[in-house]
Amino acid sequence: MNLVDAILQSVTQLPPFPAVIQRVLELVENPKTSAHDVVEVIQYDQAVTANVLMVCNSAYFGLRKPVHSLTDALVRIGFNTLVEIILTRGTAFLFYQSCQGYQLQKGELWRHSVACAILSQILAERVRHKKSAVQFTATLLHDVGKIVLSGFVKDHFEQIHGLVQEKNLSFLEAERETLGIDHAELGGRIAEGWKFPRNIIAGIRYHHTPFLAEEFQDLVSLAYLCDVVALMTGIGGGADGLSYRGYKDIMEQYDLKEKDLEAVISELDTGMKKVEGMLNIQ
Amino acid sequence: MNLIVGMGAMQVSRDPGATIVTYALGSCIGIAIHDPIAKVGGLLHYMLPESSTNPEKASKNPAMFADTGVPLLFQEAYRLGGEKTRMRVRVVGGAQLLDDSGYFNIGKRNYMTLRKILWANNVLIQGEEVGGQVNRTVRLEIGSGRFWVKTSGNGEKEL
Repeated sequence: MNLVDAILQSVTQLPPFPAVIQRVLELVENPKTSAHDVVEVIQYDQAVTANVLMVCNSAYFGLRKPVHSLTDALVRIGFNTLVEIILTRGTAFLFYQSCQGYQLQKGELWRHSVACAILSQILAERVRHKKSAVQFTATLLHDVGKIVLSGFVKDHFEQIHGLVQEKNLSFLEAERETLGIDHAELGGRIAEGWKFPRNIIAGIRYHHTPFLAEEFQDLVSLAYLCDVVALMTGIGGGADGLSYRGYKDIMEQYDLKEKDLEAVISELDTGMKKVEGMLNIQ
Repeated sequence: MNLIVGMGAMQVSRDPGATIVTYALGSCIGIAIHDPIAKVGGLLHYMLPESSTNPEKASKNPAMFADTGVPLLFQEAYRLGGEKTRMRVRVVGGAQLLDDSGYFNIGKRNYMTLRKILWANNVLIQGEEVGGQVNRTVRLEIGSGRFWVKTSGNGEKEL
């Protein structure tokens, strides 16, 4: 078996994606979805419901009276925030693990993923003047390929690191050169296997190469920007560091200047505090 | 005892048993100062060059920016008995994406702003490791003044 086949084969060792969260992804992607549809789907899952209520009742939200039901939570914190909490908590089981190939300790990949998702909302408001649950989701899940590729990166680290240092390749290009596949492409394959909506698959697959996306250009470009901004801050930063390409075309597409990125970064801590409670759970 | 400095935060100490640590400096800068006579030291992990980017944040959290954080770091060290003329200054971080366009050079701007502030105040940098594409973790031992930089993939070395 060649290396790419072995990597694709190992995808089958990933735990199944929870059906409830899968259903929420589909709902979020459908513009006709109402808030009550989401409540309807998750209310029968006790673990998810309990988690959501626990987060709603954490210090950050400062609610005077505790929230006791999902409908109650919906009224008090709003639809977007509710969805964000469901997805962030619901995917933690995947992202919370350590990734040795990238030298990320337990919880660091999740921190990075959550920081990107928060940035997606700050950036979406800045460039589109509205938040988007689909953007949040695609950005949150963008690095799913790293979870599987990590073991292979670890085994071939010297070679990948050497290509980055000596040939000035990005870490992504060095992964592809060494292993035959990179974490973004692999993430796209994983998302396909889980039957995610097509726009979310594209967000994952092209988050380092947004100009290759044939559709969902806007979603993909913003996911890319969120990732590079999070990498710059160092949140959940690993052995791949900042060895990824900065594309000025994407900045120009949104008419953003470096000062705008600085303003976005200065807003990040508020969002991170909101999820701090969640980051320390598990 | 380890004192952990988060992103956009700082710590000063005169506890000879203390080590001040900050993790994963990407484009951010870690500036460590240490007075070997008073055995006072401090470490600031700032994220951005100028407080004018977000004055509201700067007033709540001056350690987020170079122009508000760096003066505060020195003031706090003076308060514990440190003296400017004895202070050893070391600087780490300011990493960059692979980018020739200048759209993503926050790391460089972070570093240049620091140079300007220190220059204007007649403070020299004794050691530095800045730029490149790597994340760095640093620690300052208050008792000895020794300062260590750890880079993913390359181990730890003294600066």
